[in-house]
Amino acid sequence: MAVDMTMPILVVDDYKTMIRIIRNLLKQIGFENVDEAADGQEAYAKMQENKYGLVISDWNMEPMTGYELLQKVRADESMKATPFIMVTAESKTENVVAAKRAGVNNYIVKPFNAGTLKSKMSAVLGDF
Amino acid sequence: MPAANVAAQVRTSLASLKASDLQDAQIMEVLKLAHQLTDTMKLFFSSLDQSICQEFNYIADYISRTRDEIAALRPNDIKTQRIPTAGQELEAVVGDTERATETIMSEAEAVLCDEEADYDAYRANVEARMMTIIEACSFQDLAGQRVSKVVTSLRHVENRVSRFAEVMGVRDADQVVEETEEEKRAREQLLNGPAIGGPETSQDDIDAMFSDAAPVSDLDQDSIDSLFD
Repeated sequence: MAVDMTMPILVVDDYKTMIRIIRNLLKQIGFENVDEAADGQEAYAKMQENKYGLVISDWNMEPMTGYELLQKVRADESMKATPFIMVTAESKTENVVAAKRAGVNNYIVKPFNAGTLKSKMSAVLGDF
Repeated sequence: MPAANVAAQVRTSLASLKASDLQDAQIMEVLKLAHQLTDTMKLFFSSLDQSICQEFNYIADYISRTRDEIAALRPNDIKTQRIPTAGQELEAVVGDTERATETIMSEAEAVLCDEEADYDAYRANVEARMMTIIEACSFQDLAGQRVSKVVTSLRHVENRVSRFAEVMGVRDADQVVEETEEEKRAREQLLNGPAIGGPETSQDDIDAMFSDAAPVSDLDQDSIDSLFD
């Protein structure tokens, strides 16, 4: 099935600059319907009101981390199927293993480029 | 009353008893023994007083030396000058970096969105924006100098504390330090932060963990070990 290039994507990061970078990379890839949240709590509130085709989240945020957001999303029937990609500087194996066990669809370590983002999105959503 | 004075007083009392012309042989024997005992006690107490005096002198020296070493630490200088200055320098680095990033990203976005059809005008616009980006990169020089100052301050504090610990013979306490709420959350949420010198696990290794061929639960010990090399 073809990927809907107009689907809303939620980018979660506490650094405005990183959100801006991801927005630009997504635009370059072809996705322009991008929403943003500054931490897991704000993202979860937005996800309760809107349906997103993909969540791209940082890990280290307060008051709710990306890891907590992932666990909450996977435990919520209304949003548990939402594809979730972690984009983070947390690169210990224990982090990757924990995220995988919590149900993350893919994992990108910072710094990254448009090619990496596109290939992981393709792995999760299908070719586009 | 000091021990030596007590012994002297007992001796005086005994001498007084002996001088009172007592005829009972047994009492004289008891007084003789008591005399010997007070002589022994006098020696004992005088040695005791001397060792206590030495102990107090040692403690006084130690306190004096500790005070000198604390003064050499210059804790007020560290507290009022070095640490606040280091904090201000780091805040300035963050500010400089943010401003430079804002400039660079704005210029790059403007170039990406430029739809000028005329080649010369497009080229002039791109060149002007590239120059602005190059100028904005000068933040790195300032940031480098500021970070160097912070590193120097940290080294200064480290040297002072190390010297103090060495001179005072300080050793780390054996007891387990209680975990703070912040540390507990960081541990539970696996908040390790960025690794120095690049990611600890490469993107290729992470990709391998997400490939169908090697699900995480099926990783053998060698595969896990290789991720830690």
